[in-house]
Amino acid sequence: MTERQALLGAGAAHILLFTALSFGWQWSQKPLAPADEMIPVEFVDIADAPRVTEAAKPSIKAAPQETTAPTPAETVPPEPTPATPTDAIPLPDVKPEPPKPPEKAAPAKPLDMSTLSNLIDKALPKSRVKPLDTSALATRIAAATPKRATIDPRAAATLAQAIQAQVAPCWNPPIGGADVRKMTVVIRADYGRDGGVIGQPSVVSQTGATAGNADYSRAFAETARRAVLRCSPLKLPPKLYDLWKSVEINFDPESMT
Amino acid sequence: MMRPLPLAARRCYTLPMRILVHVLAPALALLLAAPALAAPIRVDINSGIAQPLPIAVPAFATAAPVPTAAGTTTEIGGRVAQVIANDLKSSGLFRPLDPQAYTTSVGMADVVRPQFANWRTIAAQALVTGTVSVNPDGGITVGCYAYDVFSAEELAREGFVTTAAGWRRAAHKCADLVYSRLTGETGYFDSRIVYVSETGSRVKRIKRLAVMDQDGAGHRFLTSGQNLVLTPRFAPNQQTITYMSFEANRPRVWLYTLGSGRQQAIGDFPNMSFAPRFSPDGGNLIFSMAVGGNTDIFRLDINSRKLTRLTTQPGIDTGPSYSPDGSRIVFESDRGGSQQLYVMGADGSGQNRISFGEGRAATPVWSPRGDLIAFTRIGAGRFSIGVMRPDGGGERLLTNAYQDEGPTWSPNGRVILFFRSARGGPVDLWSVDLSGQNERKLPTPLDGSDPAWSPLLP
Repeated sequence: MTERQALLGAGAAHILLFTALSFGWQWSQKPLAPADEMIPVEFVDIADAPRVTEAAKPSIKAAPQETTAPTPAETVPPEPTPATPTDAIPLPDVKPEPPKPPEKAAPAKPLDMSTLSNLIDKALPKSRVKPLDTSALATRIAAATPKRATIDPRAAATLAQAIQAQVAPCWNPPIGGADVRKMTVVIRADYGRDGGVIGQPSVVSQTGATAGNADYSRAFAETARRAVLRCSPLKLPPKLYDLWKSVEINFDPESMT
Repeated sequence: MMRPLPLAARRCYTLPMRILVHVLAPALALLLAAPALAAPIRVDINSGIAQPLPIAVPAFATAAPVPTAAGTTTEIGGRVAQVIANDLKSSGLFRPLDPQAYTTSVGMADVVRPQFANWRTIAAQALVTGTVSVNPDGGITVGCYAYDVFSAEELAREGFVTTAAGWRRAAHKCADLVYSRLTGETGYFDSRIVYVSETGSRVKRIKRLAVMDQDGAGHRFLTSGQNLVLTPRFAPNQQTITYMSFEANRPRVWLYTLGSGRQQAIGDFPNMSFAPRFSPDGGNLIFSMAVGGNTDIFRLDINSRKLTRLTTQPGIDTGPSYSPDGSRIVFESDRGGSQQLYVMGADGSGQNRISFGEGRAATPVWSPRGDLIAFTRIGAGRFSIGVMRPDGGGERLLTNAYQDEGPTWSPNGRVILFFRSARGGPVDLWSVDLSGQNERKLPTPLDGSDPAWSPLLP
C-alpha cells in the first residue's frame, strides 16, 4: 500500500466517521418531549362533620389545663350534626360545648352563650382595637370598690422578674417579618393558684399592626399567647397570689431584631 | 365513616372569637371579679428564643385505601404529609417532629377533632392534619387543617381538588396554607424553579434549560443541550420562559412555552441580545442589546413587537429587573468605570447609581416585596450574595463563600436562591434566607446555575 493510498484511506475513513457522527448527532437532536402542563389544583371549602367536639376552646371557660381533648370526646358523642355551615364564624366552636366541667371557677365562667352571641353581634362591627369600654369599666369598678392595701412595689418588681424569666424562654417571636421592628403586643392572662393559666390569654393591645400586615400581626400576637400557654404553670409564691392572679405581659422583640 | 363534605369554611376562625375573648371576656371578668380587683401586674419581655416551631404532620387520613392512578389514598396520604413536612422544614422556621414520636395515629375523626393533649405531650406546638379522598372523576380531594396545639384552636383549613398525579401540588398548597397562617407571610412552596443544567468539562460545557418544583421534584430538561443557553426567567404566568440561546451562533433572546415546548426567538435583531426579563404584567420584555459597540437596555412590547431603547450611555448596561409595581428598573452598568447598580424609571428616566460599596455589584433582582434588591457583590477575590434597599442603603451580605452569584427571590421575598461554584469544583444551586441563615443546597441531577424562581402557582 503506498503512502498515497494510505492517506486516501485515512481521509475516506475520516469522512465516513464524520458523516456517521453527524448523523448520530442529528439523531440526538430529537426534540425533548415538552414539559407537562401544570397540573391544575382547585381550591374547595371543606367541611367538618365532627369538628364540633373539639372541646379545645378554653377561651372563656375554665382552664383546659391538659385534659381538654379527651374529655369532650366522651362527653359529646360523635356529634351527628354533619357539616355545620361554617362561614369563618367560630360560634359553632363555642356553642357545641355544653357539659365540659370547668375545674376552676374562672372569672368569666357563668357566661350564657346566647347573651354572649348577642354581645358579639353588637361588638362585631366595631373595630377590635382596645376594648371599647373595658378600661372605662375598669376604672369605674375600681372607683366603686374599696381600695385594697397598696401593692408593695418591690414585691411587684420581683414578681414581674420571676414571670419574665419563666415566660421569655417560651416565646418564639417571628422575627423574620418585615414589620417586626415596630410590633409589640400586650397579653393578659389570669392564673389559678396552682400557677396554671385560666382560660385563654387575651390580647390587651398591640402596636405596629396596620391594614397591610393583619396576617402578620395576628401571627405575632399568637406567638405571645402561645408562650404564655406553653410556660404554664408558673412557679410563683402562693402568698402573693393576689398580685399575680392577673398579669399583663408586654411582648416586644426589640432586643432580638 | 365521617367524610368531610364540601361547604363553606375557607377562612380562619378567629376574628369573632378574638373579639369575644379580647373584648368581652375581660369586661365580664372585671365585672365578676370586681371585689378582688387590682391592677394586673405588668411584665415586659424583650426577647425570646428564635427557633423553628415544632410541628406534627401525621399521615393524612383516608376512609379506606382506594386505588388511584398514583397509588392508594393511604399511600398518597403518607406522601402528602412527608412533602408538607419537608417544605416546612426547608423554610428553617419549622421543625417537623419525627413521626416515630407520635403517640397516636390520626384517623378520619381525629382530623377535625385532634386529641390535643397527645400532641402536647410530644411538645408539638402546631399540628397539621388532613384527608385524602377520591372524587367520582378519579381525581382526589386533599383536605388540609392546621391547629394551634396549646390553645387547641383550629387556625385554618382548605380543600384542594386535583388529579391523582397532582397530589404533590396539593401538598405544597397545604404547606403554603400552614406556613402563611403561622408566620403571617405568604407561602412559597407551590412554585417552580427554572435553571441551567450544566455538565461536561470546563471547555466543553453542555448547558440545558431544566425546570423542577421548588423542592427539586418533577425535574425535566427543556432543551437538548445542542445550544448554549443562559439566564432563563419565568413570565408572570409561569407558562413562558425567556432565556438567551446561542442557537445558530447568534446569541439572542428566546421564548420557551411550557406545555407545547415551542421555542421562538423574540425578534430578528441583527445584534447580540441577552439578559432578558419579563415585566410584572408579562406584557414587556426588557433585555440588553449590543448596538454599534454600545450595549444598552431595551424594552420590547411582546404583542406589538415595538422596541424601545431605555439607556444610551456609553458602556455596558445589562441585567435589568423591574420593581414589582413595574414603575422602575434596576440594572448594572460599567458607565462609571466599574460594574455598579443603577435604578431608573420604567421609561428610562432618572438613572441613578445606587451601589457604592467596595468592589463591584452585578445581577440585581428586585424583591417581590419591593423593599429590597438582591445582587452579586464582587470584591476581595470572592462573589457574595447581598441585598440593599432600592435607594442603595442598608446593604447586607448574606453569604460568604468563594463564589456565589445570580440571586433570585422566592415568591414571598423571604428566601434567595443562587448558584455557588466551589473553587475548581461543582456548581450547585443553593438557597439562603433573608437573615443570612438556613443555607441549603438544592438537589439537581447535574451541576446547576442561573436559577430563576417562579411566582406562586395559581
